Order: sequence, then structure tokens, then C-alpha cells
Amino acid sequence: MRAGKQVIFIFSDHSSKLKILIVDDSEMNRSILADMLGDEYEIMEAQNGAEALAILQKHSLEIALVLLDVVMPQMDGFGVLSVMNQKQWIEEIPVIMISAESSSSQVERAYELGVTDFIARLFDALIVHRRVVNTILLYAKQKRLVGIVADQIYEKERTSSLMVNILSHIVEFRNGESGRHIIHVRTLTELLLRQLLQITNRYPLSEMEISLITTASALHDIGKIAIDEKILNKPGRLTEEECAHMKTHSLVGAEMLARLPAYQDEPLIRTACEICRWHHERYDGHGYPDGLKGDEIPISAQIVALADVYDALTSERVYKPAFTHEKALEMIQDGKCGAFSPLLLECLRQVAPTLQEELKKAINQADKYAVRNMTQELLRHEELVASERSLRLLDRERMKYNFFAAVAEEIQFEYSPEPAMLTLSAWGARRLGLNEVIMDPEHDLQLSQILGPDVWRELSKALHSTTPERPVVNYECPFSCSGEVRWYRIVTQALWSGDEPPQYMGAIGKAMDIHDSHMKLTDLEKRASHDSLTGLLNHASAQERIRQRMADDPDGHYALVMLDLDRFKSANDNFGHIFGDRILQYVARKLKNSTRGGDIVARVGGDEFLIFLEYDQDVEPIIRRIFNTLNGEYEGFSISISMGVARTTVAGEDYTALFHAADQALYAVKRSGRRQYLFYDSSMKQMLSAISPIDSETEGKQGGDNK
Amino acid sequence: MTLQDCYTALGGDYADVSARLRSDRLVRKFVLKFLEDKSCDLLRTSMAEKNYEEAFRAAHTIKGVCQNLSFTRLGESSSRLSDALRHGWTPEADGLAQQVEADYLVTAEAIRAYQEAEE
Repeated sequence: MRAGKQVIFIFSDHSSKLKILIVDDSEMNRSILADMLGDEYEIMEAQNGAEALAILQKHSLEIALVLLDVVMPQMDGFGVLSVMNQKQWIEEIPVIMISAESSSSQVERAYELGVTDFIARLFDALIVHRRVVNTILLYAKQKRLVGIVADQIYEKERTSSLMVNILSHIVEFRNGESGRHIIHVRTLTELLLRQLLQITNRYPLSEMEISLITTASALHDIGKIAIDEKILNKPGRLTEEECAHMKTHSLVGAEMLARLPAYQDEPLIRTACEICRWHHERYDGHGYPDGLKGDEIPISAQIVALADVYDALTSERVYKPAFTHEKALEMIQDGKCGAFSPLLLECLRQVAPTLQEELKKAINQADKYAVRNMTQELLRHEELVASERSLRLLDRERMKYNFFAAVAEEIQFEYSPEPAMLTLSAWGARRLGLNEVIMDPEHDLQLSQILGPDVWRELSKALHSTTPERPVVNYECPFSCSGEVRWYRIVTQALWSGDEPPQYMGAIGKAMDIHDSHMKLTDLEKRASHDSLTGLLNHASAQERIRQRMADDPDGHYALVMLDLDRFKSANDNFGHIFGDRILQYVARKLKNSTRGGDIVARVGGDEFLIFLEYDQDVEPIIRRIFNTLNGEYEGFSISISMGVARTTVAGEDYTALFHAADQALYAVKRSGRRQYLFYDSSMKQMLSAISPIDSETEGKQGGDNK
Repeated sequence: MTLQDCYTALGGDYADVSARLRSDRLVRKFVLKFLEDKSCDLLRTSMAEKNYEEAFRAAHTIKGVCQNLSFTRLGESSSRLSDALRHGWTPEADGLAQQVEADYLVTAEAIRAYQEAEE
């Protein structure tokens, strides 16, 4: 078979060794295998399934075979197989499973997942070697390498056609024949061959052979290169001596071709040799050079001889005018010009009516002739060639991608959901101190330490709720890696399949370090939302956050506390505004320290503060603790606090109502003697606001910082 | 001390291994390499930490290596241990682990003796 031969050709011709990937957690087992195979193959090693996948991801096109262990840490052999199935690598890369296990259920499962062979752990150097070689050869014939072979056949066929064209044109040029002779002979040869196959089974010729004979027919007179030009182009009859010289062209042509060193085994050259040598033999045995008789003459030479004679008769030559089609047919059938097999003469008769037309068509299509040869070849291998080409294109895309990823110094990633696998660009993996391939990233400890607990879930939710039309998600979050927290923006695109409905196929994206600009922004934001004197939130932003908090979890128990300093006006009056400011800053610090991180603390205005907190069962102890902490002394000034507390359980969850309730409770405190706290209840509904008297208390201090 | 003697001392099948690997050079190389294999340490610590999944893998690796090298005695005990640990701890696992440990010591001892005799 031709394909088989080409495979061997590839193997011996390419000096680079084929790659074998050995996956085994025992270094010793890997090295035994590597020792057995290392002479002939390039060995790549992986010590667990995840490593194997990382290598396959990068080199899937180059790896000729995987030797796979079953029991391994991180990911076992079956895990690797299922990913290889997902990625359809299993169709291109044969896998031999090697295991100490030989339970039939395991073997069965392995075969179901597409392994080609199963070798029990008892390594026998010869057996392993033979099985590896056989598997690679088998796959080479059947699978992807056939694509390469097809490409090579195509390439060689093209060069041969080219060679044929060049050589035959040289001959034509020297012969002074019209370029049509070659085309005519070729066309006649093919017509006669096809007719012959219709009327008899005597010559079992394949399509390939028909194409070979047709192409090679162009070389029938190549030996004329060696004939003196004067004799070739001599008008009129040749002398006996000249005739003898002329007759050598058939043998010379055959020898020329036989001496072409690079093409010895080419079927095309072998066929051309037959034709050159024997296209002047006669069916009756009276031809030259060998005097072969009947079917001793190869059918290829018999047919080309007939085609040659017909075209010579119907064309004008230096030594003769052109005969008509009918006259030529008559001369051939009567045996006046050569002797042919009755079968061939019958063929000629049958194609005769359309012959002239076919020859005209052939001349018109001359340009396309060579192309047709190639197309036939291509058609047979079309799918394989396409897949090989697209694989190469894909490979190139991947190279491009890797290159840009490396140059960009970005954290790029690719996520596939089944099996859950996150692949990071090499640079990105280094930056984050992670592996390039992370299996089951949602539960990966290292990854969740960097991202924090919720980021993965939130991102995944956001990606799932995109649409094929709007697949991009922007997400900002801090990464903590190597002891440092930096802000990143993740831009990621969900991959949706073309199905209806579209299936989520994973995501690609990158993470950009936006730490510096983020810090600037948060600083601005902070300035806008915070009170410049105390650093606490201002009322507007506190209000916004409180509303948000209650909306996020409407079932929570919340309390809003309004508080102010009793007789703060006197501090301002007696010690000056600067001292008053320092008291406010002191209270703000104490407030911050006595509340929890999640509580919201704000300066509402003047000496009024607000606390919003969530509690479980009883808020009173918390309030009491805060109250006790705040009351005290600051540099000789006695700090006395009044607090009004409104709980959502009593006052409802509307912010305005809640704020109003706390305000009323504070007013109640003021009325009943200050320095205490009260909880709002419905009896306070009709009370006035505490804000007004406080405001009036600070009246006349316009321009004070604490206003 | 020959490789043959070494195999006798550690309870292995020299005829079998040399038939399979087909070269004394290879057998020698891998026998010596056995001393570098950390699976027995891993087995010991995993058993102590009650990490039986890891212990199973370690026993399994030892079994595989022994099959390759035809270390029959250690191969049998590690094979029994890996069966006992396949689905987590079983009552006989502790005893088998001790047996593997003992067989490992004998095996390592024999190889070291062979190594010294060679030097």
C-alpha cells in the first residue's frame, strides 16, 4: 500500500524522535520505562495526572503515545483518561495503561475510556517495546499522521506532475512538435483506458493506476532528448542508419528514468519506464526494442502506443501531412500502422465518435489538467488534509497566544467546567505562585487563599448569567498572594456553544493589577464619603450603606443609635473650638473602638453621631457597653452622652422612620435628664425631634469646624 | 556477592527479573535505585498520621516497584497491605504495615550489602 510506505518514509526521513509521555508517580517505574524506550523515542515524564494534563495541553500535537499509570496522587489515570476524552485527545493520542491492577472491572473501564492497550505491571522489556511500536504504527496509519501522509502525497504528486511537465516540454521543444501532442496522447490514453475497463476485466486497474498511466504517458518520448536534432527534425525519409538511431529513443528514455536516483521507488517512474521502453512494441511481436508479444507488453505501453500512433497520423509532421480522423482510424484498424490487441482496437472503435470533441475539450482544459490530478488526490484525503491543516493552524494560534501571553505579562486564564479545570498563562501562574493547571479550582485551597472565599462562586454565577450576545463580565477584587494584598480587575468572557439553547462551555479572561489606580479611587471615594474632622462616614453615605445593609438581609435584627454629647456647647465656649474639635475626634475614636468592624458609625453633624448595628437576640448589653465606654473624661472635660436607640423590630425597616424613631428616643433622653440611653417605643411617637434643640444649642457657632 | 545472592537474601526471583529486563546492567541499576525510593517512608508517616488514602498509594507504589524488580517477598506483603487499605483502614492493615516495614528493611539491607561488596 502506498500510504503504508509513506509512513515508513516519514519515520526514517525525519530525524527528530517521536515523543512518548510516561505518567507514573513512581520515579523508578518511569525510569525503567524510559530506559526501555529512550533509544528510539523522546521521553517526557509526568508524576501525576495533573502534570500529565499540563504537558498534554502544551504538546498534544507532538505526543505519539501516552503510557499511563492508574493509581496516582492528585489525579489518577482514569481522571486523565476522562479529560483526554473531553478534549478529544484520545482520538489522536493512543494510551497504553500500565498497572499493577488487573481486576477485570478496571480493565473494562479503561477500554471504555478509550485506551488502546493494557499492560500488567510486570514489565517485560520486549513486550513493552513491541506494544509501543505497534500502537504508534497503528495510530500512525489510522489517525492523525495519515493527515500528514496525505499532505506529503499531495506534495510529491505535485512535484512529480511538475517534473513530468518540464521533461515533456523539453522533448516537445526539441521535436518541434506542437505542445498538443502530449495533451492528445494523455487524453487518448485515459479515454482508451476507461473504455477498456468497461469492456473487460482482463486488466484490473485501480483509479490510482489509471491516473499514473495517464500522467506517465507524457514521458513516452523522453528518450528523444538523446537523439540528434538533425535526425529528429529531418523532413522526408530516414536512412536505415538514421532509423536505427531513432529507434534507440525508447530504450534510452527508460534507462534515463531508471537512473533518476531520488525517484527509484516512485510508482510514477516505474510506470513511465514501462511506457518509454515498450511503446514501440507490437502486439504481433515485431516491434522494438525487446520484441515482446501480446500481453507480455504491459497494458500501459500498449495503450500509449495506440494513442501515439493515432495522434501522429492525425497531426502534421515535417515528413508528412495530417491525415483525417477517419483515414487514421481506417489505417490503424487495417494494420497499416502498427499491430494492436483486438480489445484495444475495439476500444478505439467505441470511443471514435466522440474522440475529436474530447481532444478539443482537452486542449481547452489543458491548464486545468495538472490541477485535476491533484484534486483527485486531494479528494481522497480531503478530510484528513483539512484536519491536519486546521490542527496546525490551531497550533499556530496557540503559539501566538502563548507568545502574547508571555510578552504581555498578564494573568491570563482559561476555564473549562467539565472536568473543572483552570489553566493559567505561564507568567500568570508564576505571578500568583500557582500551578499552570488547577483541577477542581472551586475547591482548590491555594486558589481560594488568593481569591478569598466567595470570589469564585460570585464570578461563576456572573458568568452563568451572561448571554452569548453579552458574554463579558468585569469584576474587581483583591488578590492576596505572597503576603501582599493587591486589587485586580478580572475581565472574563463566558464561552457559549452554538447549540439551542446555548451551553456554557467555560470562560477565558485575564486579571489586571489595578492596585495603584484602585487605591487612588478608593481614596477619592473615601474623601467624598467621610467626615474630614473625625474620619467617620458622613450622614449621606452612612444612610446609603444602612439602606443597602437592610435590603441585602431584610430578616436581620438591626438597631440604629443616635447619640450626642451633653452640654457640648460649654466645651466650645469655655475651651475654644480647637479643643471642641479634639473632643469630637476623641469620641469618634472611642466609638470606632467600641463597635465592631461590620457596624456603621457616622458623624451626623455637630456633636451628633450615629451607630447602626446588627444583633442576634438582645441589643441592650451592647448598647450599655458602648454607653459606658463613651462616658468619661477628656483632659479635664467630663464627657456625658445621651443615646436614643431604635430597633427595626419596633420601628420597622424604613430608614427614614428608623432614623426618626432614634431621634425621638434621643429627645426623650434629653427631656428626662440626659446621660442615659432609651429605646424607642410607640409612646414616644408624638414627641418632637431631638435635632431641633441640639441645633439651637449650637446656634451662634457658625464657622466652627464642629458645626 | 552477586546479584543472584542479593536476590536470594531479599527473597526475590532473580531468574524472573533477568528474563524480563534482559540485561544485568539494568537489573543492577534499578536494584540500587530501590534504595532511593521514598515510598516506604511515605507509608510509615501516612500510617502514623492515619492518612490511609496516602498510605494506600504508597503501598501500591511499593507493590508496583517490587513487581518490576521481582522482589517477591516485599511484593507480597505490600500487595496484601494495599488490598487492605484500598477502601480505607481495615483491622489487618496495621499488622500488614509492620510486615511491609520488616520486609523492606530486609530488602534494603540485602541491597546495601550487595552495594558494599561491589565497592
